[in-house]
Amino acid sequence: MNVLKVPTRTIAVFVLPALLLYICLVFVPIIVSFYTGLLNWDGITAAKFIGFGNFKNMFLHDPIFWPSVLRTLLYAVASIVEIPFCLLMAILLNRYVRKGNALVSIYFTPVILSVVIIGQLWSTIYNPAAMGGMLNGVLTSIGLERWTHNWLTEPKIAMYCIYVVSLWQYFGYHLLIQFTGIQNLPSEIYEAAKIDGADGFKADRYITLPLIVPIFKISVVLAFIGSLQAFDLVMVMTGGGPAHATDVISTHMYNSSILSQKYGYGSAIATFLVLVCLSFTVVINLIFSRLEKKFG
Amino acid sequence: MILNSKKMIGVALTGALTLSLTACGGTDTKTTDSGSATTGDKSTDKKVTISFQNIYPDPTTPSYKMLHSIVDQYQKDHPNVTIELDTLNTDQQKMKLKTQAASKEVPDITIVNPAAQMKPFVDAKLLAPLNDMLDQNGLKDTYQKGLLDNYSFDGNTYAVPDGNNIEVVYYNKELFQQAGIAKTPTTFDELLQDVKALKAKGITPIAIGEKDSWTGSFLFMNILLRTYGGPGFLKDVVDGKKTFNDPAFTLAVDRFQDLVQAGAFPDGATSIDYNAGGNIFKTGKAAMYIMGTWETGSIDASSVASKVAAFQFPTVDGKGDVNQYMLAPGSAFAVSANSEHVQETKDFLNYFALNLPKKQFEYKNAVGLGQKIDGDLKASGYSDLAISVAGLFNNISGGDLAFDNTMNPATAQAHLGSIQNLFVQKVDAVQVAKEHQSAFEANK
Amino acid sequence: MKGFKRGILYLLFAIPVVTQLYPLLWLFLYSLKSNEEILGGSFFALPQKFQWHNYKEAYEMGSYVRYLGNSVFVTIITMVFVILLSSMVAYAVSRFRWKYNKIILLIFMMGLMIPMQATLLPLMIIFKNMHILNTHLALILPYIAFSTPIAVFILSGFMRDIPGEIEESAFVDGASIYRIFRSIILPISVPPMMTVSILTFITIWNEYILARTFISSERLKTLPFGVYTFVSQYSTNYGDIGAFLIMGAIPVILIYFVLSERITKGMVAGAVKG
Repeated sequence: MNVLKVPTRTIAVFVLPALLLYICLVFVPIIVSFYTGLLNWDGITAAKFIGFGNFKNMFLHDPIFWPSVLRTLLYAVASIVEIPFCLLMAILLNRYVRKGNALVSIYFTPVILSVVIIGQLWSTIYNPAAMGGMLNGVLTSIGLERWTHNWLTEPKIAMYCIYVVSLWQYFGYHLLIQFTGIQNLPSEIYEAAKIDGADGFKADRYITLPLIVPIFKISVVLAFIGSLQAFDLVMVMTGGGPAHATDVISTHMYNSSILSQKYGYGSAIATFLVLVCLSFTVVINLIFSRLEKKFG
Repeated sequence: MILNSKKMIGVALTGALTLSLTACGGTDTKTTDSGSATTGDKSTDKKVTISFQNIYPDPTTPSYKMLHSIVDQYQKDHPNVTIELDTLNTDQQKMKLKTQAASKEVPDITIVNPAAQMKPFVDAKLLAPLNDMLDQNGLKDTYQKGLLDNYSFDGNTYAVPDGNNIEVVYYNKELFQQAGIAKTPTTFDELLQDVKALKAKGITPIAIGEKDSWTGSFLFMNILLRTYGGPGFLKDVVDGKKTFNDPAFTLAVDRFQDLVQAGAFPDGATSIDYNAGGNIFKTGKAAMYIMGTWETGSIDASSVASKVAAFQFPTVDGKGDVNQYMLAPGSAFAVSANSEHVQETKDFLNYFALNLPKKQFEYKNAVGLGQKIDGDLKASGYSDLAISVAGLFNNISGGDLAFDNTMNPATAQAHLGSIQNLFVQKVDAVQVAKEHQSAFEANK
Repeated sequence: MKGFKRGILYLLFAIPVVTQLYPLLWLFLYSLKSNEEILGGSFFALPQKFQWHNYKEAYEMGSYVRYLGNSVFVTIITMVFVILLSSMVAYAVSRFRWKYNKIILLIFMMGLMIPMQATLLPLMIIFKNMHILNTHLALILPYIAFSTPIAVFILSGFMRDIPGEIEESAFVDGASIYRIFRSIILPISVPPMMTVSILTFITIWNEYILARTFISSERLKTLPFGVYTFVSQYSTNYGDIGAFLIMGAIPVILIYFVLSERITKGMVAGAVKG
């Protein structure tokens, strides 16, 4: 751990360049944005300070806001539920496949593709059969015509269709994290355990799982924050429609700022989003430090 | 292109394009050249870069060719001037401009939309008045009467449009025949009958790309224009003379839902974007396409060109006048008030606007021009469709602007969401009216 | 029974291969189809006739080479600085004994929670006052700033576990802290740097909102912008769009598969307390 005692000047040399850049271009802008959230401002003409008026409207009078928060949280939960499955796959890969790396690299492919490509692809899958939609085409051809839907345009199911795309895209991402985590576990522990008679799944239960908890946490935090901020995918696939049925916090923020030209209001939503991210990260960290104590 | 809505232009847009009387042909252009050479004399060696934000990204379109050919020519004639194009698609440009406006960093020339949509920019004093530029070389007189009103506030004109369009119903004659439809509908009930007949034959009756929610609104507003018996509903709402709970509005919602319920639109319409929606019609898979006349050129260039004709939107329950249209005054070019070289920019824009109609005509894109122009469509090889659509312009007796050109953005967004919702579920018209009214009141 | 189990297992591994790779194949076929086939045709069908001219059109209409050059330039500069600056911070917070290292790390971690869209307008105003709007600097600076948190996170996790003896013996030999950083720490941190590189690369290579907003000159625009413009509402040849998407994805795919062996090593190296 932190061993080196160095002069303050040296610390400054190491830390300040990045810190200054980061403060100026990430921190200051978001603080400005917090302030903008207190204004009644269309982004063009003069602004008026209204204190927490935007927040009051947001919490009490905006019919789109709470449903979009709910969808966002569901999004986050869905993306976390995927992670144990990724961990299981990672354990199996590590155990049974010699060139696991190659497979993991393949699974990771969707992550590197631009969201435009992902959006085009999945829109084509979800399209009505008349427009060459694959899913409906397949369902019809195996006699399940009753199950066909207008996947992206039925308000009750459109959001779930987007969750699926997101799960698909980030499957490889979380698998990669778990997989490399397992690979980096010191092999001596397993050898020692083998001598004590712990092998196979037993070793996984008593060695891998406890040691992997910190990695698991990384995945969970990244998945949670990532899905709370989910934006591009929703914009490309539905733009929040039909009739706001797929709006999440970030698309609502964007649409309010830009389309409705309520810039102050949009900034208030951004503030809310950052606060939600922060508080959930704290909660996740608390949960995990308990877990680590229990297992560790 | 655009879509927006708002106060009506109570002006007859006479003689939109076939006419040949005016004097803005080649001679005028020459004047421009020498004119700006004189004004620019003292600054001839001063290097000037004019940034020009525009919305013509597709090299295959006439608008793109028009823009580039005029810009190239101008740069050749004025070696000290560089025109730097920032070419974006419509959505990108709207978003970029809003961000730029918030930091008062508007490009020398940008694109704004008429009436309510450009008003905030004018109020914030971001745009330069163009009155002097319009007086130069007779530019003002090239515009159809009343057209510039959509871009004028308190006696100053702040932008000049790239066109002026109306909403019509394009239809595929061959598909109509297949469904046994002998003549085009003149009433809404006939339209519904035809929709059902087409549907029965497995033909998509009306193409639409409702992911871009203005498309549905544009169609809905046409129904409202009829049920209200004429233009001005939104204006009356703004003026407090009517509310959205008015029977004309709820009737329009009901009639619109009749279309949806009859299966008039493609499956999954709300996930189809504008472009893909148009392509359903242009590939011969849908029988009708209710859209602005700016589509004429691209329909002419499609595989169904020879099979397409157009008719006027029918009357609804005996109300309305088919010679009243949804009017779509075009996107317009505006000059930044903070430009470092306002005069040079205006000189260029003057030249650009004078040459725009000629070039559009040349590139077979003269339907929906906002300026008078010398030229005979037929003799120049325009299609029957183009000629007949152009003919409709001659009898315009008024109409409405799109919703978002009339109402403030927040109300417009609520409206667009509300109409989009009708595509995916049946809603009580009273409820729709309530949504509109409360959004309107909350954002007054 | 064993064979059966094994079969299930392989099936479990094989299905994701298909589902995760299929989009690339799909996009490739898409890029070779005509509009009619794309809009009306069957999803699995091969193109009736390979429309290679889609690539030619996409190449000619899309200013591909210029956009590509700009993207490469912006991305490389960004990555060099992200790696250098983040390594320095990571080293300081994970190895130096000082009061505020936890706080500094926390401040950087908060950056993970800030949605980029929310900072757009303030950034615009800052850059306007710095007079760097419409230059590549207006992209490079925020890209570096936004990439730093995750980079610091990964690198500091790794560096924390470097055994202290290495540095101590170097110290005894009279090496300066800068020298130790340059000749010892940086070289052994290559695995996590690879991870940082690829994550940064993916994000920046595909970034579009800042690029659209801060760059106006045609000659400075980057590839994602080109892609979005190409998918604009005026462009009506879907095959061309597919071709352009493929051309835009090729660099990232190539680089990824060249580096993928290394990324899998560095992702969370050191995050486990051994």
